[in-house]
Formats: sequence, C-alpha cells, structure tokens
Amino acid sequence: MSEQLEKFYYDNKIVKAFAYATIFWGVVGMLVGLLIAFQLAFPIFNFDFAPTTFGRARPVHTNAVIFAFVGNGIFMGVYYSLQRLCKTRMFSDRLGWIHFWGWQTIIVAAAVTLLAGYTTGKEYAELEWPIDIAITLIWVVLGINLFGTILKRRERHLYVAIWFFIGTWVTVAMLHIVNSFEMPVHFMKSYSWYAGVQDALVQWWYGHNAVAFFLTTPYLGLMYYFIPKAANRPVYSYRWSIIHFWALIFIYIWAGPHHLLYTSLPDWAQSLGTVFSIMLILPSWGGMLNGLMTLRGAWDKVREDPILKFFVVALTCYGMSTFEGPMLSLKNVNAISHFTDWTIAHVHVGALGWNGFLTFGAIYWLIPRIFQTTLYSKKMAANHFWIGTLGIILYAVPLYWAGFTQALMWKEFTADGTLKYQFLQTVTNILPMYTLRGVGGLLYFVGVIMMVYNIWKTVASGKLLVNEAAEAPALAKVFVPTAGNSHWHSWIERRPIQMLVFSLIVVAIGGAIELIPTFLIKSNIPTIAAVKPYTPLELEGRDIYIREGCYTCHSQMVRPFRDEVARYGDYSKAGEFVYDHPFQWGSKRTGPDLHRLGGKYPDSWHYNHMLQPTLMSPGSIMPNYPWLLDDDIDTDIIPAKIRAMQKLGVPYPEGYDQKANDDLLKQAGEIAARLEKDKIKTAPNKEIIAMIAYLQRLGTDIKAKPANAAAKADVNAVTQQP
Amino acid sequence: MRWAGKVSVATVLFFTMLLPVQSFAAPKVQDAMSNPLAQVLVAIAFLLLLCIALLGYVLNGAAEVYRQKLKNQSSGGQVMPSVIAVVLLLLLGGNAVAQEAATPPAVAETISGLSYTAFYLLVGVIVFEILVIMAMVIQLRYLAGIGSAAKEKVMAVETAVVKKPKANWWWRINNAVSLEREKEIDLSHDYDGISELDNKVPPWWLLAFGMSVLFGVVYLYRYHVVHSAPLQIEELELALKKGEEQRTAYLAQSAGNVDETSVTLMDGAAIAAGKSIYDANCVACHGSAGEGNAVGPNLTDKYWLHGGDIKDIFKTVKYGWPEKGMQSWKETLSPVKIAQVSNYVLSLVGTNPANAKEPQGELFEAKADAPAIDSAAAGK
Repeated sequence: MSEQLEKFYYDNKIVKAFAYATIFWGVVGMLVGLLIAFQLAFPIFNFDFAPTTFGRARPVHTNAVIFAFVGNGIFMGVYYSLQRLCKTRMFSDRLGWIHFWGWQTIIVAAAVTLLAGYTTGKEYAELEWPIDIAITLIWVVLGINLFGTILKRRERHLYVAIWFFIGTWVTVAMLHIVNSFEMPVHFMKSYSWYAGVQDALVQWWYGHNAVAFFLTTPYLGLMYYFIPKAANRPVYSYRWSIIHFWALIFIYIWAGPHHLLYTSLPDWAQSLGTVFSIMLILPSWGGMLNGLMTLRGAWDKVREDPILKFFVVALTCYGMSTFEGPMLSLKNVNAISHFTDWTIAHVHVGALGWNGFLTFGAIYWLIPRIFQTTLYSKKMAANHFWIGTLGIILYAVPLYWAGFTQALMWKEFTADGTLKYQFLQTVTNILPMYTLRGVGGLLYFVGVIMMVYNIWKTVASGKLLVNEAAEAPALAKVFVPTAGNSHWHSWIERRPIQMLVFSLIVVAIGGAIELIPTFLIKSNIPTIAAVKPYTPLELEGRDIYIREGCYTCHSQMVRPFRDEVARYGDYSKAGEFVYDHPFQWGSKRTGPDLHRLGGKYPDSWHYNHMLQPTLMSPGSIMPNYPWLLDDDIDTDIIPAKIRAMQKLGVPYPEGYDQKANDDLLKQAGEIAARLEKDKIKTAPNKEIIAMIAYLQRLGTDIKAKPANAAAKADVNAVTQQP
Repeated sequence: MRWAGKVSVATVLFFTMLLPVQSFAAPKVQDAMSNPLAQVLVAIAFLLLLCIALLGYVLNGAAEVYRQKLKNQSSGGQVMPSVIAVVLLLLLGGNAVAQEAATPPAVAETISGLSYTAFYLLVGVIVFEILVIMAMVIQLRYLAGIGSAAKEKVMAVETAVVKKPKANWWWRINNAVSLEREKEIDLSHDYDGISELDNKVPPWWLLAFGMSVLFGVVYLYRYHVVHSAPLQIEELELALKKGEEQRTAYLAQSAGNVDETSVTLMDGAAIAAGKSIYDANCVACHGSAGEGNAVGPNLTDKYWLHGGDIKDIFKTVKYGWPEKGMQSWKETLSPVKIAQVSNYVLSLVGTNPANAKEPQGELFEAKADAPAIDSAAAGK
C-alpha cells in the first residue's frame, strides 16, 4: 500500500484568539462574581444604582463564567484538538472567525442588556429573543465548521474526545431552541411560550443540561485530549470510554426535575429526576476514573508538573460534585439543601475546580506550544495551583456551613409548636460565612491574575506559529479493518453523521418522556377556578419584578413542609401558576419566599421597604430600589403586552388590550389613595405602584373568600383586596 | 510550592477554628470560653495544631530527601495519590465538621454547661486535626521509607527480573493489566500521538452501576406502584399531625396554654419580657416607643382600631388583621409570648412619646377591671 503523504497546516491563530477571550472573560466574570459575593455580606456594594444591584449583576456573573469563560474555553480546546485529531486544518478559516467574533459580540450584548434590565427571567437563559436567535445562528456556524472539519479528516476513526464534541453540539442546540420559545412583545421584551409548571420543567430540563452539556461533556472531551497529551500516557480503557459516554449522555438528560423536588411538579416527574440522578453517579465517575487512571505510571510527573496538578484536582472536583449532585437529588437531602447556599457551594466545586482548573491546565499547556516557547514560570503556575485550591476550599466550606445552618434554622420549631427563628435571623446569622466565601473567591481570583501575568510573559518570549505544518496520508477509499479497530463500536466511529443522529436520539428520549405528558395530560396540572389572569397593573409590576432579577434571591414556591406552611402559608399548587409566563419559582432563598406575600403587609410597608429595606426589616441585606419611586410606568406598551399574553392563551376578553390602560390607572389610583392615607404622597403612574400591585396579588387567588373569588370572575374588576 | 501547600493547610485550620466564634457563639463568646470543658478542648485543638505545624516542617524535609532519591531511581512513585488523599480529607473533613457542628443550631440542652453546637464544633475540629496528623504521619512513614509499600517497591525494582512485581489492591480490584504488560492490550490507535489501552471495565464499577439502576427501579416501585412510601403531600400531612400532637402534649403539661379567652393582665417581669419581644418584632411598623409610623398605628393613645382590652390585643397579635396590614403572629410567637407582648403594648398607653401618630379607631374606655390608676385618670 503506497501512501502519499499530504502536507497541510494547523490554524493556531484562531486557537490563540479563543484562548485570549477565555482569559479575558474569565477575569471579567470572576470580578462580577466577587462583586455579588461581597454584596451579600455588605449590601452597600449595590451602590443604589440599578445596573449594579445583585439581581441584575448575578445573571451577568453566571452568563459570563458559563458562556463566556467556559464557552471560549471549549472553543479554544476544540479548535486546537479537533484539527490534530482529524489531521486536517479546520474546515473554514472564515467560519472560524465569524464564530469567534459572533460569540464575543453576543457576550458583550448579553452583558449590556442584562445590566440594563432586559431579561427573560429564566436562569442561565436570561437573554432576550434577538440574542437567542444570534446564539442559534452562531451555533449553526460552529456546527458547519465542526462537521466540515470532521468530514474532511485524514483519520478514519473518531477519537472519544470528538464523540463528546458531537454530543455536546447537538444537545446544546436542542436545549437552547426548545427552552427559548418565547412570544416577543417588542424588540427587547418577550414572554416565555410556556407557563408555570411546564415552564419550570422545560427550564430545568434546560438548566440542568446546560451544566451537563456545556460544562461537562465538552470538558470531558478536552480532558480526553489534554490529559493523555500532558502526561504522555495511553488512555486507560477504551471500552470504558464507550460505555460511560453513551450512559452519560442518555441518563443526564432525565435528571432535570431534581431541581424541582417538593415543588408543584407532578410527583412522577420528580421521582424520575431522582432515580436518574442516582444512576448518573457511575457514568460520571467512569469519566473521572478513566482520566485519573490514565495517569497511572505518570504520578511522578504530577509531582513536578503544575499542569498535571491542575488536571488531577479538576478530575477530583468533578468526581466530588458528580457524587454530591445525586445525593442532593435524594428527597431527604434536598429538603435541607434546596434554596440554601449548599447548592451554591456545590456548583462552585464543579465550576472552580472542574471547569476552572481544567481550563487553566489547558491554557498553560497549549500557549507555550503555539508560541514555540516554554512557560515563563513553572513555579508561578504551581503557586497559582495552590492558591486556587485554597480558594476553592475557602469558598466551599463556609457555604456548606451556611446552607446547612440556615436550613436547620428554617425548620426549627419550639416545643409549643411555633417557628423558632424569624427568616431575617437565619440570614444575619450566616453573614460571616458570606464574607469568608468572598475571601475564598478573592484568593481564587488572585491565582487567575498570576496566570494572566505568566501567560503575558510567556507570549512575550515567543512568537505565534500561525500555521503549524503537519503531514498525513489521505484517507484510502477502501477501509481495511485492523486488529485495533475490530471492536463493534468502531463502526460508528467511522460514521460522524450516524454518530450525530444517534446521539440526538439518545438525548431526546429522556426529555420527550418527561416533557410531553406534562404538556398533554391535564391531570398533571389540576386547574383552579379561582385563579385569574393578572390585571394590567399587576402584569406590569411582574415585569418589573423580572427586570430587577428578584428571582435571584426570592422563591415563589411554598413547599409542602410543616415549617414552610407555618412560615409562609398554604403550600403552592400547580394550578396557581397557569398564567405565569415565565414562572418565577426561583432556586435560591437569600430572602424569604414570596408566593403568599399578597395581603401580608400594608401597601405602605412595601413602599418603605422598596425604598430602603432596612427601614422595615432592620438588618436586611436586600438592596435599595429608590428608582422605582421615581420612574414612570410605560403605559404605551401595555396593549402589546396584553396581546402577547392573549396569543399565549391567557383568557383576557376580546379587545381588552384597548381597555387595559383604563383598568391600570384605576387600580393605580386606588393604591396611591391607600398610600396617601398613610401619609405617603406619590403619583399613581410610578413603577412602585405596579410593583406593590403585583406583590399584593401574589398567592391571593386561592386565599380569597368565595365572595371575592366570584367578584374576580370579571378581569375588569380590580382584584385588590377590599 | 510546598510552602504554599503547608500554608493552605494551616490557613484552612485557622479559619475552621474561627468560624464558630463568628457565627454561632458570637453573642455568648464569653460564657462559652469561661467553660472549663471548652478551655480544655480549645487547648487540645491548639496543641494538635502545633503538632501539625511541626510535622509539616519535618515532612517538608523528608519530601526533599525522597525527591532526590526518586530522581536517582526514576521509578514511578505513588506519592501524589496520598497528596490527593490529604486534599480530599481537607475537603471532606471540613465538610464533615461543618455538618456535624451545625446539626443542632438551636441549643436546648448542654454538655457539661457547653452548648451542643460549641461542643460538637470543638470535637469536630479536634477529630479533623487528628485525621490530618494521621495522614501526615502516613506520608512521613512512606517518604522516610518505613512504610512497607516503599520497601516492597524498592525490593521489586531490585528483583524485577526474578519476581513479578505485585500490583497493589487498587489495580487488582480494577482487573487492570500491569504496566509492564500494557503493550499487549494497546489498541495501536494513534490520535495525534494518543494511544488507547483496552483495559477491562472495572467489575466493581459495573456492579455499582447495576445497583444504582436497581435502586431506581425499587424507588419508582415503592413510590408509584405499591405506594409504600409517602408522596410529598402525604409527608406534609404526617408532619403536621405529628407537630400538632407534640404541641398539644407540650401545652397540656405546661402553664403556657393561654388564649384570647384566658389571657389576663400580667406584671413587671412579663412586661419586661414583652418589651424584648416588641423590640425584636414590632418596632418597624409601630415605632420604638409605640408612637406609630407610616405603616402601623399609634399604640400609646386611648384609641384602638380593634379594641383596647387585653383580650382584644391578644387576639389582634395572634390572628392579625391581614387586610389592614397587621400580620398574624401565631406561628412565630408562642401563646405566652403573645400574652407578654400584649401586656407590654397595654403598658404603653398614656406614655405620650415624641412624634406620636394621630389617633385612629375608637376611643376605648378602660373597664372596671383595669388598673385603678387608669380609671382614676379617666375619671378626672
């Protein structure tokens, strides 16, 4: 067999661009993280300025570290490894640059719009519809470039890293598209297509699998490339990589409902979430162990090499968080952990340890290679490793402590059957933990700055090898099997398109079985006659609630626990959320649950509390919202909002969009009058009035007496309490 | 590099010790620290910390020597796993301490005068320190060549030609092909220089995976087929029932069973207790002296929206008047506490504080059973 060697060049310039973007967005995202961490301990850092309050900054942090830092990290690793694993240059340089600049533009647009208050109010999917469309387009560009490269490869079989890349691409596409269905109101405002329980299920099917298919599977692909390369060892077990890959992507997709345990989600869906989470332990650990055991015979190198140290701790953190996650999915553990800082600690072990450290290791490994030099300081990299590890510990331990303490305080009853602690006491008690957590984050950040300096000096000492020469024979027309690829699985390794289709089928099963019955079978969400659509003023208030990111600290989901029923009122029912586009159940209770807030306090209490929470709750760490008192309600947009809601099936009467503003003004006038009785003078067209209207409505539909419920049948009637 | 590791260990320990003082014990640091048991425990913890520092120093030296040896031999060591074990211990240990210590945040009983929280916290720190010391000793033994594993290894290297080196338990349970024979299972893949071995999937892993699937089947069977475990609403009903039983049992055998029909006027001590309840819960809406503010009415005048009798006030506090903004306190305050705070509120009448809000509601005339001074004043 005569093999003609073909000469070609790997593109390192695009790898460099993504590496720089990774570092840059990492620094930005972590800085915002530090800001919000210290805001919790010291609310003064909210600066009484809308764009810097916690509720708006927190989505910027999560989006920046997930989609900007880790996202660019994925692309850096994929563009580097895919070319070499396929023995070819990327399919198209131009598509690569469209992808690069497109993604960075999306990130900037995301940061700006989130700070300006444009958000859909769905966690990790907060971006408004034009940006969602842009993401879809750029993702397609990546897909074309990815598959173009794979199709013109000079390597017959696809290495395990590429299976993970393919699985990632197709699943993220599916998740993003299904979760982003929304009804536009105007250019930067939309309502989720789904409502209440269904919206929650779709959202957490997405949210959980954003962790699975954005933070996990692509990084497992990178792990399978960078660890064997850095350690110069063969992968421990090929068979194991096959079984854990398919098991992982099949099982992961089912686990979303574990974010909704003890909520109004039907019990059967919750149970599926729990059992599939438990089944997920071993497939996850297969990845960790196959990686760690690849280092067999190279542990002496781990001692010397900071890069391998980063990889080892990354895998260890991956193993810990993928064991902890399933444990948190058990009902009895979840009853304690959910809504507390335990969850925050859990995700950060994964994010700081697994994603962060794997990214740092990969950057330290590939930058000197593409710049044809050696790392400026190995010692500094080692110090980065130690300070980063210390940062993770100091971040996680206080939050585990805080979460556990707070949950137990919430649940504590005195012997005479009353709640032992006010909610606020459970918050002020854990503030020292918040400070410590901030210190942990700061240490981690110092490590990143050391890396920036180290990389800067490394780059300065070398020269980028823009086009790296390589050669390989072209693929022969006829495939002759050899002993190394006689395994049955190598059939699909030769067929990327079948791999794509089969991956999609495998990941679609779990979602379909959970989502479709929840949408189609009526008994899953029993309707409640007393539940009526929001009045226009309440709807406007709800949009302000979403805009300010209240859901980042407040839940709207009273779980069926004795303590929550005592503290907040009757537990939340599925039928109460049927007009909630989007749902606002939240995932964290830094502040108390708000689902039964309506009617609990007078309007004047809310007015003062929004102006300065400490006036009404001394010691509160909630930011001040003074601008709500000054800014006017935008009444021009109300008819469009009503029409959008009608299109989504909310039963406002025909032609109500034109009458909506009359009702809005009437209800606003009544609230202003009530405030005036309490000596608070305010114009009825201020945002605070809408906010009060919404907060006073929350959870009151099924609290109302029968007489009131009858009166509410007409949506034109003001639904305020008498 | 190594100093950094040592510093991290020490810092974590330092912070672990600091945490309780800041969070739980903050208001009663003095009581806790004057407790002899606490002093002993803290002393032990401190001594152990010194041991750790000392051991760390020795370990540092030993590691240096070992490293030299390793460089000479250039044989694959097993040092890093134990380093990882320490890191893991740190993480898990810290976690365990956190959970153990946090279990009873509400201190009802004590151990030799020391609260459960403080006791378990200190014991937790000590256990944690002992674990760290044990890990350090193991590593020291290993580095110094005392550990049997190291001896075997050295011997194995020397007699490799004669005797097959023995794989350790980890590789045995994984059914791994030994390093020496790994060429035999090399699949001769070459992905950018990466090759793959065809090691068997560890049998324990397959077994555990099977068990997790079995868990799932049993779980679904119990909850959704035979209903032998309570679903969430049933769980709530059980909890409420149990809570109610405990509550009635407690109230039956205590003097705390007071309600709006049996509440009476109380004297100094109860009113003082009422004041602290008032200060903690009521000032935001009614003002620090009961003068009222934008939210709540003035409590110091003779005008009442819902009646000014002790029984009326008790009822108002207990059930609230939600449509007017007064919340119900029956889930937060025990009946005795409601009685105390109601008495305190009644004691505010006639105090004429500054910035008092204008009267609201009906003029309430004290009845005959009210204190004599009041009726005398009213008579004038």
